[in-house]
Amino acid sequence: MKGIYYVITLYIFLMLPPVANLMESVMIIHMHMQMTLFVIIGFLLAPVLQKKFPRFFEEWNPNGIPGILLFVIVMFYWTLPRSMDEALNLWYIELFKFISLPFLAGVPLRDSWKKVSASVKNGLIILFTLLFIAMGWLYIWSPNQLCNNYLLIDQITLGWGFLLTAVCMISYIAYSYITDLAENI
Amino acid sequence: MEAIKKEYWKDKANKALGISPEDARITKSYLSVAFIAILVGGFLGLLQGMNRAGILELPVWANYYKVLTAHGLLLVVVLSAFFTIGYFYAGLSHSLGGLLPKVRKMAWIGFWMKIFGFVLAVIPILQGDASVMYTFYPPMAAAPMFYIGLVFIVLGVWMLAFGAFINVANWRKNHKGQHIPIISFFATGVFVLLFFGSLPVAIEVFYIIPWAFGWIDTINVMVSRTLFWAFGHTLVNIWYMTAISAWYVFVPKIIDGRRWSDMLTRIVVIALVIMNITGGFHHQIIDPGISESVKYMHVFMSLAIGFPSLMTAYAMFAVFEKTARKKGGRGLVGWYKKMPWGDVRFLAPFIAMVAFIPAGAGGIVQSTNQLNQVVHNSMWVVGHFHLTLGMTVVMTFFGVSYWLVPFVSGRVLTPAINKLGIIQTIVWTVGMVLMSGAMHWVGLLGSPRRTSYSTYFDNATALSWDPYLFFLAIGGTLLMIGVLLQVYAVFNMMFFAPKGETEFPVAEEEEDATPTPMWTERWGLWIVLMLTLVSMAYVIPLVDFIVNAPPGSPPFKTW
Ligand code: HEM
Ligand SMILES: [Cu+2]
Repeated sequence: MKGIYYVITLYIFLMLPPVANLMESVMIIHMHMQMTLFVIIGFLLAPVLQKKFPRFFEEWNPNGIPGILLFVIVMFYWTLPRSMDEALNLWYIELFKFISLPFLAGVPLRDSWKKVSASVKNGLIILFTLLFIAMGWLYIWSPNQLCNNYLLIDQITLGWGFLLTAVCMISYIAYSYITDLAENI
Repeated sequence: MEAIKKEYWKDKANKALGISPEDARITKSYLSVAFIAILVGGFLGLLQGMNRAGILELPVWANYYKVLTAHGLLLVVVLSAFFTIGYFYAGLSHSLGGLLPKVRKMAWIGFWMKIFGFVLAVIPILQGDASVMYTFYPPMAAAPMFYIGLVFIVLGVWMLAFGAFINVANWRKNHKGQHIPIISFFATGVFVLLFFGSLPVAIEVFYIIPWAFGWIDTINVMVSRTLFWAFGHTLVNIWYMTAISAWYVFVPKIIDGRRWSDMLTRIVVIALVIMNITGGFHHQIIDPGISESVKYMHVFMSLAIGFPSLMTAYAMFAVFEKTARKKGGRGLVGWYKKMPWGDVRFLAPFIAMVAFIPAGAGGIVQSTNQLNQVVHNSMWVVGHFHLTLGMTVVMTFFGVSYWLVPFVSGRVLTPAINKLGIIQTIVWTVGMVLMSGAMHWVGLLGSPRRTSYSTYFDNATALSWDPYLFFLAIGGTLLMIGVLLQVYAVFNMMFFAPKGETEFPVAEEEEDATPTPMWTERWGLWIVLMLTLVSMAYVIPLVDFIVNAPPGSPPFKTW
């Protein structure tokens, strides 16, 4: 478990004010890279927590569904333009972002992923694909600025980022569908 | 069941008999084109070097820019691509039990498409209507035929990529639960990058053609440049990956050693495939229209590609030391005496690896924003890529040719040719060190790249470049001798060397190697990850270039 120190180093590095400011200066990097990295950090930290508090996870997340729900709620919250604005304006919301994304999204996702069935997994990917298409549509074609802190061009860029990610997720779904088929023949 | 049995016997037969004549012919044709390209391209390089040194005034019909365009295309597009394809198709044929008849046909169609495209592109270059350099991005515009030729070259490449995919997929279907043989794994990675890396340039060319014909008046220069470099950078890394595949797979066998960890080798391939394309931005550090913070973040992406490269250096030296110690080598450095220095199949790739140390360091210099400002578009850059391509990659190709050519032509490497190869390696090393050293230095003194000889009205700074440019010409002359020796060796081995059997030298894994996990075979996943990373990287500048587009540029003919 030596790798854990790298993860903690990365976590601290991303929270350093100059690093955080740089990433937050571009809307799409704020949402698609910084936030994703925090979720990944939680994902990588999860095994340590699972080992330390096995009872806790067994009790609260026996079949994985509560964890997935928590993950979905936290992720949906952070795709709202308003919450990004608040994270930039209020230091305690920023702090909440730093904590909630790893520990309320990344950790529960890792803990649940092995427990839930394949259809829940696929359902989750499809749900996020649909969410991303909707967000892409919203950000590209919204005539108004949705965030006080970012320009319209940032918003359009983010919209295309959402759509492209959705395309990648669709390719992934198609790929796993095809290879599953191939393996079952 | 029957099919599997047949497959098995075909495998066995292939191992015993080497390569089938049909498959050998494919590789021989590709290699021949590659080495003819280096002959002509090397000669043009010498002309340029002489011109830059002020020794030779080029006649009007062969002006400097025309020659430079041809040199770039011949060596970067023809030599490298044809060698890579010939080499990997031999690897696919050997490790997958022969090429499928369908794939063989595709390889030939691709071959002729590439040749046809190249002829189309060369005609306007010779006519002086396409001196746009091998980078060919707007606002300089060539005659439309040049770009149509490029379309055929790209289509040919796709043919070969899909041929490789079909062959690999077919093997996987018949060998469920097994790993793709390592050389085919490298080939898969390389063809995935060739296909996805050439998509952006295909889009660029389809955008340029109507502009070159005059059907549209202006073009978005930044979009075209960005699309070009997504391709240009990937192409460079494809050759690098081809070279390291030889280091990982064949060099250990030549020194009688074992391969380095199979799992980590495959992870290096996967990492290079996923992270590669976005490296294109480090060629645009001086470009306008990309915000500073985006450029800054791309420094990380470029350095991230450096990581698997460093792993390669570590891996190779670990293999060398282990092998030499097994043979009784002793001491901290004394084990070096146990290496087969007199074997060109080892010496050439070894020097290629050593050259990568300064070459990689130079690359890190160039990806640093501030240092890039110092060297951008100076002769330094030309020195850099003659080290990386002209030495690291091309010398590995030379080293490979000494067993690959005999292997595909059913002949053997004679001691005489081996000796010639050693001399060639030394000549090439000295020539390239002189030439690229002079280029690096004179670049730091401000000499621009891609510029015909000029003293700028006898300006003192420009005159101070002359001694270095003279060294450049001496290095270039040595290199030309090296080219002649190498081309002679290749065609001798292909047609005149004594008949016999040459082994396809794939090294074995260590006995106690940790088994490689099956997830390394999930190519679809790596491709999706790569596409996600590419979308993330390109969406910011491209949306900006398109939404905030300037009026655009008409075509220019600057020469
Ligand atoms: C006989 C050996 C060679 C000689 C004498 C030579 C010499 C030169 C010279 C003098 C230049 C022009 C620099 C300038 O004025 O900007 C040049 C450019 C170039 N060379 Fe070579 N070179 C040789 C081999 C190679 C090899 C083996 C490769 C790659 C595999 C290569 C790739 C290039 C490329 C890509 C350019 C840049 C073209 C451009 O700027 O458009 N060269 N070379
Ligand atoms: Cu590059």
